[in-house]
Parts: sequence; C-alpha cells; structure tokens
Amino acid sequence: MKSLFQTKLGALLTAALFVTISAVTANAQEPSRLQLSSLDHLAAKASQSVDVNIDERLMRLASKAFSDTDAEEREIKKVIAGVKGIYVKVFEFEAEGQYSSADMETIRTQLRGPGWTRLVNVTSKKEGNLEVYLLMNGDMVNGLAVVASDVKELVIVNIVGPVDLDKLAKLEGQLGIPELGIESNKKKNDDEK
Amino acid sequence: MSTIRTLIVAVVLLCVTCVSVVQGKGDDFNSVVKMIEQFYGVKHEEIPFLAKAGMKVARTAARIKGGTARRIAEAGSIKLAVFENQDFNGEFIKFRNSLNGALNQTWQPLIQTLSATEEEQTYIFLREAGEKFNVLVVTIEPRDATVVQVNVSPKNLAILLKDPEGTGKAITEEATIIDQE
Repeated sequence: MKSLFQTKLGALLTAALFVTISAVTANAQEPSRLQLSSLDHLAAKASQSVDVNIDERLMRLASKAFSDTDAEEREIKKVIAGVKGIYVKVFEFEAEGQYSSADMETIRTQLRGPGWTRLVNVTSKKEGNLEVYLLMNGDMVNGLAVVASDVKELVIVNIVGPVDLDKLAKLEGQLGIPELGIESNKKKNDDEK
Repeated sequence: MSTIRTLIVAVVLLCVTCVSVVQGKGDDFNSVVKMIEQFYGVKHEEIPFLAKAGMKVARTAARIKGGTARRIAEAGSIKLAVFENQDFNGEFIKFRNSLNGALNQTWQPLIQTLSATEEEQTYIFLREAGEKFNVLVVTIEPRDATVVQVNVSPKNLAILLKDPEGTGKAITEEATIIDQE
C-alpha cells in the first residue's frame, strides 16, 4: 500500500512536470506570435538590421518600470497594458532584390492562418507596401502584425496581445518599433468630413 | 521503497543540475569577455583609472533621445572591458548565435543591431536584479569592442525600453567616458 509520503511526492512531481511542460509549450501555443527566425539569414545581406525582442517577462518589467507620474510613460503603460510581447525585425539593404518572395511567404503563410484578418483601409505616409493584419478572437483583438516592404527595406512588427491601430500609432518610435507612418483611411475620411 | 529512493535521487539530481546551470551563468560578464577573446582571437585591456578619466574630455556627453546628458548606470555598478586596435574579423551571424547561446539562460535579449556597412554590432541584454536591473551592452566595431555591464534603476530601465538603441549607446559612452565613482 502506498504511504501518504509516496502519494504526496507523486502528486508533487506530476505538478512539477505539468508546470514545466506548460512553460515550455506556452510560447508555441500563442497564436499571435509569428515565427520570424526564417528571416534571420537576411541579416548577412542587409546593410543594417535591427532585432527587437520584448517578451512577456520583459513586458511585465516594462509595466513596472514606466512611471505613473510622467505623462508620456503613463500613456505608454496604458497602451501596453495586457500586451504580451513586441517583436520587430528591420532589414535595410543597399541593393534591390536582396530578399525573395519565398522570404515573404514564410511570414504570409502564418498570416493566412485561422483568425488573422488583413486590414484593407490602412496606408502609410512612407513609400512601399504596407500590410496590417489583426488576429481576431470574436470581437477581441489578440495580436497585430505589420509587414512593410520596399525594394530595399523589409520591416516586420508583431505585437502579441490586445492591441489596435491607434495603440500601434502611439507606440511608433517607442520600444524599438520604427516609425511606420501608419494611417487608417477610415479615420482620415472621418477627419475630412 | 525503491521507487521513493529513485524519485528522491531524480529530484535531487534535477535540483543539482539547475543550481549548477545558474552558478555557471553567474559571472556572465567575464564569460562574454572570454567568448569575444576566443571568437576573434583578441585580448581585452585593463584601463587605468586616470586614463579613463582622461577619456572623459575626448568624447561627447551621453546622448539620450529627447533629453540632455544624464547618468544611467547606478554609481559604482559599472563593469567594463575594452578591446582597442585589434581586428574583429569574423562572421557576425555566427558571433551573434554564440553570444545568444551563451547568455540565453539568464539574460533577455532586448535589441540586437548589425550594420554590415559600418561593420558594427550592438547587443543589449537585460535581467532582473532584485529591485534593480542588470544591463549588458556588447559593442563590436571593426577595430574596437566594449563589454559593459551596469545596474539601472526602474526609472532608467524605462528610458532604456523607450529608446533601446540610443540608450544602449549612451550606457557604453557613459562607462568609457565617466570615471566610476
């Protein structure tokens, strides 16, 4: 017959195993987190490359670090509340054609997955193509992805968690997110009325 | 009974492994300096205190986005290794992978920038240290490199997070310009 000690030890080990497996798989299960490592090889061809990784742990630190008394930091804190990660990759090239359609496809394939919707009413003040995607879960936004591409530049921004275009606009130039010059055409039309 | 013994041994072994991993990563600053030395076949220099004070006049003040010069590192917390007038030839992607591999247990990579045209690499890692935060900045240029580790307050962590690239440069400048108190 099993002793109480044996039973407790078994339960403890099972719980520990469960926690470990949950921690390991948590990242893989986050559907709005894009796998961007397929683009890493472009850094060798790029004249400049930037790789920003602010994961959930860093986001928590950021929330703690931003002050409630400073107006700008208070605003950022509000915007990033609930955000679980910000991932940015920027590649600038000296020559054209340094990244291929296959490179783009590795990202677009993920953005064709369930829940992702491309916003059509978004443009950028900057030159080049801009694609903005939201990961929807019912009415809730669970993630955002921006693919900005030009012949000599490729920018991917992936925000994990509840975020919208207005929030993204407020984060441009902060937390390693480049200035994307994103404009919502709907908003622009509303302003023109 | 033998099952209990096996389980206890397994748990103890797991704990010992975890502890040794943490201890092995304890002095990451020196590990990174050694890694750079081995990867590039270079040697870091000890900088005399007076020489460091002399460097102060040679450079501009720390540049932080939207503000004037200010101290970022906590007083007395700076660890600095400088490599001067040596060749840093090597595949930077390979170096980046080695560096990330060496630090990924205890440090969070915040931002990594590579400039092929300028042949410049900058890596910023973060970790919690009680109420404060440790920041590790590695900068590799064609002929020089620096490794800086500092403690920062939550307030200065906010500055770093708002402008990681600019603040990372400011930390390196601060460590090499301003004499440690």
